[in-house]
Amino acid sequence: MTKREFLLHLDELLELEAGTIKGDELLASWPKWDSLAIIAFIALIDQHFGASVPAIKIMNCRTPNDLAMLVAERLQN
Amino acid sequence: MSVFALPNVRLLGVATAVPARRAPIEPSQMVGPDDLNKIIAATGVKSRHVAASEVCASDLCAGAARRLMEKLGWEASSVDLILFVSQTPDFVMPATACSLHGRLGLAKSCGAFDINLGCSGYVYGLSIAGMHIHSRAARRVLLLVGDTISKVASDRDRSVAFLFGDAGSATALDFSAAETPIHFVTGSDGAGARHLQIPAGMFRTPSTEQTRAQQSRESGNLRSDEQLYMNGPEIFNFTIREVPPLVNTLLNASGWGVNDIDYVVMHQANRFMLDYLVKRMKLPADKVIMALEEYGNTSSASIPLAICNSLSARLARAPARILLVGFGVGFSWGAAAIDLKSLQVEPVFEM
Repeated sequence: MTKREFLLHLDELLELEAGTIKGDELLASWPKWDSLAIIAFIALIDQHFGASVPAIKIMNCRTPNDLAMLVAERLQN
Repeated sequence: MSVFALPNVRLLGVATAVPARRAPIEPSQMVGPDDLNKIIAATGVKSRHVAASEVCASDLCAGAARRLMEKLGWEASSVDLILFVSQTPDFVMPATACSLHGRLGLAKSCGAFDINLGCSGYVYGLSIAGMHIHSRAARRVLLLVGDTISKVASDRDRSVAFLFGDAGSATALDFSAAETPIHFVTGSDGAGARHLQIPAGMFRTPSTEQTRAQQSRESGNLRSDEQLYMNGPEIFNFTIREVPPLVNTLLNASGWGVNDIDYVVMHQANRFMLDYLVKRMKLPADKVIMALEEYGNTSSASIPLAICNSLSARLARAPARILLVGFGVGFSWGAAAIDLKSLQVEPVFEM
């Protein structure tokens, strides 16, 4: 998965138009970024990368770019 | 994980009681209709049965036990052991199993003790009941499993307010030389204890005015330290890490393939989690029992409740191979593979 595809998955997860998320927005500015969305994000990275990240690390992310950093090694250039 | 098999243990019957009072999931000042629909879609819970303040888990379990004993024709004097699995007992002491022993009129020769477990508690309870039967310490065992978690969930904490219902179950087990062994797998990870707990009100952090006061928490939730704290994301992480290997280990131990199973009854945590586990483990969805919509997550009682809600007619009629999978608070997990010849399953009833 490329980073662009990763951001498109986040659009879907947050019920936004495809292409809305650029990467440097503040997650806190989206009301839909709540504990249910974080759980859906955990499912997303488990399903696509087989990765497990402590929830606290996800909660501490400020932007979609920070989220992408959690799985940076698994994203294609 | 601990893997073991218990021969000579027969499940005879299961009954589950819920409080008559229903609590539909409705919009409130805290959550508007849109947010609530999103929560319902994720949890799968549309209403719950919640206990009145004077009703305890033991009352629901006692009702279930009386009904089951009557159906099975069990005399009170014939029961050799009573176990009570719960995280919402009547008292700090004595063990609620002891007071239930008295209320059900059991014999003085009958042992009684409590087990403090939640989501995994039914499977652990079956295994401990089975060990007593297999070792000949008991011939007939009453396993009572139930909780009233709604009493410790803040109605102003979105993470728990719309999820939990109350229920009490009774399961009858006895010795049978002809029974196929029940396979069990159990495990724990105490590092996760802090992610699902009531932090205060007992001996580690005794009750004070401060621990009883509701305080503002993450995402605007309000709860006291004597109410349930649940870190949903961390519990989800734990579940997808531990449950698939748990089920695989159990299938290997029992020698069953997925196609050999008639039903999978998991702890009814929430809809999103169960759907994801089904997908992740490639289980046939039509064999996986869901009983969240009307009852919510009933903690330790959720597996017997799901059996009583969905399988009462089926299990009485014909043999079935079932997997029971419990996981959650502790963190603690356990699973059992049971080859049932037939089972007396009472439909869920209200008290």
